[in-house]
Amino acid sequence: MTHDAPACERDATQPDIAPDMTTQGLSLAYGSVAVIEDLDLQLPAGQVTAIVGPNGCGKSTLLAGLSRLLKPRGGTVLLNGTDIRHQPTRQLAKRLALLPQQPHAPEALTVAELVRFGRHPHQSWLRQWSADDKACVDEALELTGLTTLAERPVDALSGGQRQRTWIAMAIAQQTATLLLDEPTSALDLGHQVEVYELIQSLAASGKTIVMVIHDLVSACRYADHLIAMYQGHVIAEGLPSQTVTPELVKRLYGVDCTLMTDPATGAPLLTNVRRTRDVLDGSAT
Amino acid sequence: MRVLTHYLSFGKPRSLIGLWLGLSGLLIAIALLSLLYGAGDVGPSRAWQALQDLGAAASYDSEARFVIAELRAPRLWIGLVVGVALGVAGALLQAVTRNPLAEPGLLGVSAGAAFAVTLAILWGADTATLRVSVAQLGALGGCLCVLAAARLQGIGNDPVRLILAGAILSGLLHSLSSLILLYDQHTADEIRFWVVGSLAGRQLDDLVPLFPSLGVAALLTILLARPLAALALGEHVAIGLGHHPRVVRLLVIVVVALLVGGATAAAGPIAFVGLVVPFAARALAGPDIRRTLWLCLPLGPIVVVSADIVSRLVVPPSELPLGVLTALIGAPVLIGVVRGRRLPTL
Amino acid sequence: MTSPVDAPNAVRQDKYYLALPLGQRPPLRVIVDKRNLLANLLLLGLLILLAGVSLNTGSAASLSLPATLRALFGAGSPLDTFVIQELRLPRIVAGVVTGGAFALAGCLMQTVARNRLATPGIVGLDNGATAFAVASVVGAGISLAPPAMALTGAAVAAALTFGLTGRIGVRGYRFLVAGIGVGAVFGALTQLMLTRVSIDAANAAYPWTVGSLNARPDHAVLSLSLALLPALLAGIWLTRSLTVLRLSDAVAISLGIAAGRCRMVALSVAVILTGLAVAVAGPVGMVALIGPEFARQLSAKNTVPVVGATLAGAVVMVAADLLGRVILAPIEVPVGIVTALIGSPLLLWILLNPNARTAP
Repeated sequence: MTHDAPACERDATQPDIAPDMTTQGLSLAYGSVAVIEDLDLQLPAGQVTAIVGPNGCGKSTLLAGLSRLLKPRGGTVLLNGTDIRHQPTRQLAKRLALLPQQPHAPEALTVAELVRFGRHPHQSWLRQWSADDKACVDEALELTGLTTLAERPVDALSGGQRQRTWIAMAIAQQTATLLLDEPTSALDLGHQVEVYELIQSLAASGKTIVMVIHDLVSACRYADHLIAMYQGHVIAEGLPSQTVTPELVKRLYGVDCTLMTDPATGAPLLTNVRRTRDVLDGSAT
Repeated sequence: MRVLTHYLSFGKPRSLIGLWLGLSGLLIAIALLSLLYGAGDVGPSRAWQALQDLGAAASYDSEARFVIAELRAPRLWIGLVVGVALGVAGALLQAVTRNPLAEPGLLGVSAGAAFAVTLAILWGADTATLRVSVAQLGALGGCLCVLAAARLQGIGNDPVRLILAGAILSGLLHSLSSLILLYDQHTADEIRFWVVGSLAGRQLDDLVPLFPSLGVAALLTILLARPLAALALGEHVAIGLGHHPRVVRLLVIVVVALLVGGATAAAGPIAFVGLVVPFAARALAGPDIRRTLWLCLPLGPIVVVSADIVSRLVVPPSELPLGVLTALIGAPVLIGVVRGRRLPTL
Repeated sequence: MTSPVDAPNAVRQDKYYLALPLGQRPPLRVIVDKRNLLANLLLLGLLILLAGVSLNTGSAASLSLPATLRALFGAGSPLDTFVIQELRLPRIVAGVVTGGAFALAGCLMQTVARNRLATPGIVGLDNGATAFAVASVVGAGISLAPPAMALTGAAVAAALTFGLTGRIGVRGYRFLVAGIGVGAVFGALTQLMLTRVSIDAANAAYPWTVGSLNARPDHAVLSLSLALLPALLAGIWLTRSLTVLRLSDAVAISLGIAAGRCRMVALSVAVILTGLAVAVAGPVGMVALIGPEFARQLSAKNTVPVVGATLAGAVVMVAADLLGRVILAPIEVPVGIVTALIGSPLLLWILLNPNARTAP
């Protein structure tokens, strides 16, 4: 091949309109235990959406349902208006990427090798590698600042670098939508910021990001759209600055707090968090 | 079953005595059955008649008398001894490795004994006494392997990996034994019927060399029961209570080797009895090792003798090896335990 | 093989790119790992060498190399021709196909379960197949041919093991112990059947129940050979998906792999191969451990050496058979015992060495 490698472009089959992920009457269950019932949800395109809530509220289950890991018991998940179950899993993998919680790389797998796995849905047995693939992998490494580490084994990296590698794999997948399950759990503060800023820059480049996170303060700081879940229901959603109220925090976590506005970023900031003396039992209903 | 065990394990010492007496009664009934039923011609009514005549000087049914006194009674006695030995050995091994799946047959202890006997016969040993000591030495070797593996990092607190290691060790020893049998026709002839694990064709004389070592084992077990119960609470607690975990462990291993080696020398390798019996005993009496050991005394022979009865009756006139039957009973128990959502811990 | 110039500028030193230009459309391009190619060639050479030695070794007087070759092509003396063509060659062919089948099955199952110990033999497939095949030999009321019976047995054992452990999954060690339990039941059933037949029949069945190339019924060899080629192709086809499946189910699904279907296909192939191979040689399950292990040592890291495992299995089988015939000659040690003696320490090492990885 004599010409320069083409720039990494979206797959030709990809419609140009912004992706619009919605659920209609979605019900999810593990075995006989219903976790989420009859949920209608819209995830804004090109923004960072954070799903927050207490442990066991169903936020990771929701992400599993959105990413087809968990088959819905009822209702549908629509991506660009089509039911994800009606799309071949490989076609869907070109539009929707998922980063599971704390994924584990086999020993001695290098960064570049892992990121190349992201090209899998774009390849076939007879087309195992193309100039496009190369361009996308290089771009993903570039975006995540891993170019110089490309030949290092993943398990020899720091936690933040490792998580960036997995995100690079999802970037190389060239999907318009990216789902992340607790991308910063088990990372220290510096590495958390490293990952969140990467996520923000991805949204700025037009991707739709949906992430489940534990930390309400980070959610307020980095998300454009907040979804608060409690016992399988969405109890609040919208701009973080308009959605987060002391009442919401109390309902979600059973704690009292004082809400301030971060003078640097304008995001809501929780201070003076303390246990509520009278947690209302029926408050969720 | 769950309801049953719930009520039965509603542990008061008094209920343990009741349970023990009930099981002993059951054992006596089963022992009687084992004298009455067999694969041969002597049916239950003839056997019953002969049993009543046993005290008399002469009997009109000498065939029945012979069958009972010379064939079925020795078999019963060996079944009783082997059952007690394997049941108690299983309970002890499980307590000392703190692993509910630890079973002498699965962990390679029986295989060690069998391999040692095979070697001894290859090298010309023949007397029954020597065979017992050799089997006990082999069992000790197997036990030490298990203990060493259990002390390895990561294995000790993963019961299932220990079982896997034992199963592989058993397979290895079995292959080595097979190699020897192929190599030496004389050994093969000597050992063919012993190696499948059966109570058939044994004589009462085979039991005699067992008694000294079984006596030692019984004495040690009585002494070790209390420290073992303390060890179940953890090594540090046991030290705090004034016990010596290392000594206790080594002595228990010696007891297990004496019991399993003796049982294997008498009846050949029989698997799964050491799993099923303590499992049932714990289900009935709760996890305390002292209670478990008490119940293993009647339960072990119940399992072995009733399996022996079935093995005689299922394909008459030929017999089923006892080891086959215990595997058919024990393997489902093993699978059931492994399947549980949470492995029971000791 | 194309020059690097034609390959995308992502050329990696450790890969060959086989490309087929298609004018305007993007070229077809298949990646071949250099190290794997080298490993496979090495194994192939080793297999040919061992087969040659094995062909020349036997209880009859050793033939010279030219005489062996002449006999192989039917040009030697009638006796030599008979010995080579009728006795030794079929034995080697049986060894190659059974070894390849066992090892390929092992490689697939280990990869799917993400555990190097998860071979068909450990989870009870060998014993299941043996029990059913023995049932057909001793005529326990069923009139299916041994290969079909062995296949059924392997499938039943697989269904039992994987069905019984459905809730706890194939991850971890528990399902292996459940498999040992299933295997123990089938082993006991085999013994039960053998005690019911005459002592002569039991003696005749003995080498077969420990695994040996002595019996090797012709129709069983034929059915296995017919199955091995498509199975190998299926394995090669699955390699890309299996490589991704090694990461985790969630990642694999997210990358567009139908994880459930891929796992089902791989397991089915493993069951079929194991069943048919047991019908030829009995339970020589350790080859399913040693073969893939050998191949992984030679192959590039983080690949699934499907072809390499097959070749290595054939090598191990032929070598073990040769060893078994030579080591205690004139007594023949069944290949199952030889492989168990080699494989068990290897298994123990994998299991007990805290530094050894259990993921394949």
